[in-house]
Amino acid sequence: MNRLRESAPDAPVGGATDHTSHSWWTGRSEIFVGLLVIGVGLFLTSQTLAMHVPDTSTGPGPQLFPGLVSGLMVVLGGLLVFQVVRTPAAPAEEQAQEQEQTDETASAGVVGELVEGQEPRRTATHSDWRTVGLVLASVVAFAVLLQPLGWLLSGALLFFGVSWAFGGRRPLFEAAVALVYSAVVQLAFVAGLGLNLPSGILGGVL
Amino acid sequence: MDTLMLLGGGFAAALTPENLLWAFVGVVLGTAVGVLPGLGSAMAVALLLPVTFKLDPTGAFIMFTAVYYGGLFGDSTTSILMNTPGNSSAIATAIEGHKMAKRGKASQALATSAIGAFIGAVVSTAVVAFFSGVIIDIALRFGPAEYFALAVFAFVATSAVVAQSMVRGLIALTLGLGIAMVGIDAQSGAARFTLGVPSLFEGIGIVTVTVGLLALGEVLHVASRIHRQGPDAQPIRTGGTLWLGRGDLRRAVPAWLRGLGFGLPFGTIPAGGSEIPTFLAYGTERKLSQLRARRGKRPDEFGKGAIEGVAAPEAAASATAGTAMGALLGLGLPTSATAAIMLAAFQQYGMQPGPLLFERNADLVWALLASLFIGSVMLLILNLPFAPLWAKLLLIPKRYLYAGITGFAVLGVYASSYAITDLWLLILLGLLGFMMRRYAIPVAPVLIAVILGPLAETELRRGLAIGQGDVGVMFTGPITLGIYTVILLAVGIVVVARVRSARRATASTAPESTPTG
Repeated sequence: MNRLRESAPDAPVGGATDHTSHSWWTGRSEIFVGLLVIGVGLFLTSQTLAMHVPDTSTGPGPQLFPGLVSGLMVVLGGLLVFQVVRTPAAPAEEQAQEQEQTDETASAGVVGELVEGQEPRRTATHSDWRTVGLVLASVVAFAVLLQPLGWLLSGALLFFGVSWAFGGRRPLFEAAVALVYSAVVQLAFVAGLGLNLPSGILGGVL
Repeated sequence: MDTLMLLGGGFAAALTPENLLWAFVGVVLGTAVGVLPGLGSAMAVALLLPVTFKLDPTGAFIMFTAVYYGGLFGDSTTSILMNTPGNSSAIATAIEGHKMAKRGKASQALATSAIGAFIGAVVSTAVVAFFSGVIIDIALRFGPAEYFALAVFAFVATSAVVAQSMVRGLIALTLGLGIAMVGIDAQSGAARFTLGVPSLFEGIGIVTVTVGLLALGEVLHVASRIHRQGPDAQPIRTGGTLWLGRGDLRRAVPAWLRGLGFGLPFGTIPAGGSEIPTFLAYGTERKLSQLRARRGKRPDEFGKGAIEGVAAPEAAASATAGTAMGALLGLGLPTSATAAIMLAAFQQYGMQPGPLLFERNADLVWALLASLFIGSVMLLILNLPFAPLWAKLLLIPKRYLYAGITGFAVLGVYASSYAITDLWLLILLGLLGFMMRRYAIPVAPVLIAVILGPLAETELRRGLAIGQGDVGVMFTGPITLGIYTVILLAVGIVVVARVRSARRATASTAPESTPTG
């Protein structure tokens, strides 16, 4: 799914930010992913070592597989950090130019080309944290409010929050759409398919 | 003919109004998620899984497989009309298909792709139906060592061979294996990675993992770049006849058949989907076209909209779906993300795909296979004349589309367990999916690992227990050794190819650093 957006040739490349502010970290933020993987690996290793094993089990116990996997995680996380330090991701504009060239020359081929040639370099993407934050906040609010408010209201609130984050700008209209959505879902899945969604404060009314 | 009788019984079951309805719902949904870029059949099945829990299993699986097939039909429409592949399996189609559309042959390109997808789906389903006996015979010879080797094969193929970067693919694999291990270990009763939280004792639900990684992860990823995108592309208008002329047919038919040749075997290999065979089919057609031009038979049309470049990849893509279903039903081996979720669905209904499924749940299996033929006919009818209508789906405002998906994601996760803690897990997994998309870490290995991980571990421990600690037992028998040989060969080929292309890259662009690999 990822490759789709990267290689859709007409896709506009966003982020014409100034590239004068190149720091060492530009294109290297993935180091944190590697460190995270190492961290998870170490955590799982410690959990594996501290695991309470009922001594009835014979043969290889429940610690063998976790040990293998967490050890592998630490190694792989280290490799990723090493790779990213050596070759940071290319800035978005460079990638766009390269993309045009590869479209004409190497748009298909044998397995070797396919495996490496389609996506010549990783792009350094910019993330719009405000939109992401709004979507996340909507989902968190839903998790908190589902029990007390019930699906109808909390579902509508979630829909409203996400559509607002994605650029909806007519509050009343969006709210109406959101309520219609949650009502249709309520009808289709609770009345139709027999799901058991909380009705919350509207429990007496419905 | 035993098979024909069984298949006849399957048709009788599949042609009931209820099952026809589920097949229809499935093909419509599948085509829709296929047409819409960023959404795929894997996500659709994951979202459907919890809400269909109350259906009878036959109807549910008819719908799931119809979604799977539908996704492979629908993904080419926007490739051709707007150069926006609906799914990664249609990237190869977009290359020549969009150029055909620009030349005014959009209708012919759409027809070529729909008929190609139909041929792929029907032939591959027939192959599975008539060779199911052979698949079962092989599968019955499998013991712990063989199943472990098969799982390792699936792990290595999806993470190290197919993924763009071996390290990132393997990281995804270990993350999936880690997620799969949370919970009480069934063999010893030890609590693993539960942090003492009671709701984690039963492990992390497969619905939560798939919906978090595929649905919420995708929503967050799109959110992170929605305000930077330019205006959407406009579809090319279609007109003229839908039917292929004799000249077109003479070129398309051999290409469809060659596409089948790539798609059928690749469906049984855990390569994470239908991307690779489509590119292999495309590349072959291009080489053949150059050859023909050199011999002076017909000028090389590739780059200007060659019909072969649409026909072969489409047939290859949907041919993988049929044989992937065969590998899933007969071996219990998921070869694509969607098949992996379907395996989870089987487990939710208390069934274990594999040779025994054909004995214990024969009714379901044959009704399912029969409904795949029916679904393919429905898809041909839905996609051949109405393809331009489907492209209109892109007019749905993005904010409603993604708000709706988010709503379905939380609904599905909550409905699968009725626990709020699963919603918090969903948010964490959604963030993980977002991070993986942002840094191009593939998601398919996580799903394959979450689903096959427990099986691999059980078989490894069972095998080692039989051998009383001797690791050698895991490497005995012709099937096991054969599978490991294939793994080593595949990894070797990929490593050599990558080192070579990296060297070529450094040679051509000397000052730039080499691509990672």
